[in-house]
Amino acid sequence: MTTSSFIDFAALVMLAVVPYILASQGTMLAGRTGLFIVSQEGIMLVGASVGFLGAYLFDSLLVGVLLAMLVGGLMGLVLAYFTTTLKLDQFVVGLAVFFLGLGLSSLLFKVVIGVTLQPPIVPTLDAIPIPLLSRIPVLGPILFRQNILVYLSVLLSVALYLLLYKTGMGLALRSVGENPKAADSLGINVTRNRYVTAVIAGMLMALAGAYLPMVYTGTYTEGIVRGRGWLSIALTFFGGWTPHLILLGSFFFAGVEVLALRVQVTSIGIPHQFLRMLPYLATILVMIFAFRGVRPPAFLGQNYDRESRTSS
Amino acid sequence: MNQTPILHVEGINKRFGAVQALKDVDLSLQSSEIHGLLGGNGAGKTTLMNVVYGLYKPDSGQIFLRGRPVTINSPRDAIAHGIGMVHQHFLQINTYTVTENIVLGTPIPHRPTMDLTQARDKIRALSDRFGLEIDPEAHIEDLPMGARQRVEILKALYRGVDILILDEPTTNLTPQEVDSLFESLKLMVAEGMSVVFITHKLREVMSVCDTISVLREGRRLLTAPRSELSEEEIVRTMVGSEEALEDSMLFSEQRRDEEAGIVREEIVLDVSDMRIADENGVLVDDLSLSVRAGEILGIAGVAGNGQQELAEGILGIRPLSRGRVRIGDRDVTGLGTRQILHLGVAYVPEDRLQDGFLPTASVAQNLILGAQRRTPYSSARGVLNRRAITETAVALIQRFHIRTQGPEDMAATLSGGNIQRMMLARAFAHPVRLLILHNPTSGLDIPSVEFVYDLLLSHKREGTATLLISDDLDELMLLSDRIATLYRGRIVGVLERSAFDKYTIGRMMSGVEAHD
Ligand SMILES: Nc1ncnc2c1ncn2[C@@H]1O[C@H](COP(=O)(O)OP(=O)(O)OP(=O)(O)O)[C@@H](O)[C@H]1O
Ligand SMILES: [Mg+2]
Repeated sequence: MTTSSFIDFAALVMLAVVPYILASQGTMLAGRTGLFIVSQEGIMLVGASVGFLGAYLFDSLLVGVLLAMLVGGLMGLVLAYFTTTLKLDQFVVGLAVFFLGLGLSSLLFKVVIGVTLQPPIVPTLDAIPIPLLSRIPVLGPILFRQNILVYLSVLLSVALYLLLYKTGMGLALRSVGENPKAADSLGINVTRNRYVTAVIAGMLMALAGAYLPMVYTGTYTEGIVRGRGWLSIALTFFGGWTPHLILLGSFFFAGVEVLALRVQVTSIGIPHQFLRMLPYLATILVMIFAFRGVRPPAFLGQNYDRESRTSS
Repeated sequence: MNQTPILHVEGINKRFGAVQALKDVDLSLQSSEIHGLLGGNGAGKTTLMNVVYGLYKPDSGQIFLRGRPVTINSPRDAIAHGIGMVHQHFLQINTYTVTENIVLGTPIPHRPTMDLTQARDKIRALSDRFGLEIDPEAHIEDLPMGARQRVEILKALYRGVDILILDEPTTNLTPQEVDSLFESLKLMVAEGMSVVFITHKLREVMSVCDTISVLREGRRLLTAPRSELSEEEIVRTMVGSEEALEDSMLFSEQRRDEEAGIVREEIVLDVSDMRIADENGVLVDDLSLSVRAGEILGIAGVAGNGQQELAEGILGIRPLSRGRVRIGDRDVTGLGTRQILHLGVAYVPEDRLQDGFLPTASVAQNLILGAQRRTPYSSARGVLNRRAITETAVALIQRFHIRTQGPEDMAATLSGGNIQRMMLARAFAHPVRLLILHNPTSGLDIPSVEFVYDLLLSHKREGTATLLISDDLDELMLLSDRIATLYRGRIVGVLERSAFDKYTIGRMMSGVEAHD
């Protein structure tokens, strides 16, 4: 591989990493309060659809992004309400919201745009070269000549790490996902923690979806998320439900994605389906061998009821 | 006694399904007193205190603090009113350190450095002052039950409360720790704190409480100053009927001594040169012991000196780094736990919540757990036989007086002592050659303790070998034929029944070898 094709490849990976980071960090954050979201794919689709429509109608990517996050936040709120307040099964609710998103995303697009041969296009996100740093040979073009969301998603990961492991707020938040009864008995508001993380998770997932038309296609298509939502669940496990390992894992998942695309184009004998299977395989292998020490939150997937003696 | 009580509850009712856990309970806690709350397993002690602490919402009733009516909707409200509670079943985050568990929920600097140095110093100071030894950096999951108990107490002390509720705080403490806890309680009460103290140990009640209340089946039956009560009166109120009282007072040391001689020749358990090590270091080393049929071998030692590892090593739960285990004439070293249990071994682990039961399964399922593949519970094809399971469960519930709504009730709804009864019922349900019991009477009320002692002796008579690991020296000296003392995973010495002496064993527990 020549230097320039390596730079190309690496820069593409940097571009592809964003949705993985955003969706998985959202999954992780909600999981840290015990809420196991499985609606990623649906929320991302809605994010893609709403984000595109907003950007198109208001002629502004920023408005698109904000609208997508608003709707994503609402979907997070729905998840929180049905699981935390009504105490319904998290998987059932999560799948319902996934299907809701699946339908809603196409419906919105069809209602607003209609069926066209030539779908409308929005401009893609500009790269923002960082002065000086972007001139470093090799690293410059890879790391410092990217769009704003690339920078933001990496910063978000760092911020989440600091929040969870270096602040009292994070200590309290994580305790809710480990043993909500213990947290509750110390005056920590379990319900509020769950609602807040669910809403933030929804916003991040929708943003992950909105990113896709704004970077790749310029428009919304039905298959646009292409399983990235489901993959982000695997990625969250891969990253041991910790922000820093999820960040690392995102590069791996994005790398495989870009590679699979290349193989498809150049066709060097390996079926690209095989490559697309790799992230799942890697997750299983990594979970078996590498991160035995890191565990998912102990209360993941369960709902807390103060008066029931089973929740502790 | 005309001053306003600091805490007063009135007409509290609480029902769980068909169980009326509290019936019209009134209770007053005076300022600067230690108020002992007694009652059999399932009497409603924990429920009442959970109501005060905001964990349970009462169906009716009113709480008054310092004379004024208050509503306590959550533990957060209770904390704001200066109430602290030590929970019977520890409420701790297993993956956090001791310090993190203690500071959780208190204002911590939100700066990106989360500086816990100060908190750690405060914890060290508290642990020095109250004689509650703890390593603030240790992770909860690595700690033995005794240390976790101390963490639970430190959690309340750290918050500097006015009203302290202690729900069976001494279950996992050594006698020395209990003494120093009582000294501290007296100090704190002198400084103006008021304490509700729940326990099953009369000795503790008599030595530390100013006032005593007794609950039975959800009603408060008695409140009086300690000086006006005798132990017998208390037990009679707790138990209810005269005959039950006589039954429960039957067990005497004399009767035990009569049984002492009948140990048989046959060796049932033989452990030779056992060594267990993991990433935390060597936990059991150079350990050999044997238990004969009809013998009760007591294991003494300060909690955390290899007791649990010894039991788990015998049962194949932990791999041995060296040594052999024989049961009867079979070498079971390296066998799986299920195979070992099927040889006629029953085990009651110390941590009943973690290692002992399935909280969301039914009481019946818990009672036959471990025997589920055997007849009559399973058919030859492996299909569970519901009727056989229910029949056994009903019989065991009756025989062991497990307070539950029925065999189909979810196990987690049982009170602490009733979970313990369930664990014991399971161990004694089938004929066994070898019993391994770790703190079998922890959390049991007085009649149940006597019941278990009786049961142990009748098994002894029938030739069962028993390895009795206990933190309660009185219990060990009452029941054992021999006592081996563990210190840092090694046996320091073994005493015959005739040589039992609290002082000697106490010294051995601190690592000093016996000189005879
Ligand atoms: N959350 C709950 N759900 C259902 N039943 C409950 C619950 N909490 C308590 N109970 C029932 O209420 C009764 C009183 O239980 P409680 O825990 O207050 O007893 P206790 O006096 O503390 O007993 P112990 O000495 O065994 O701890 C028991 O019959 C118990 O099964
Ligand atoms: Mg209790």
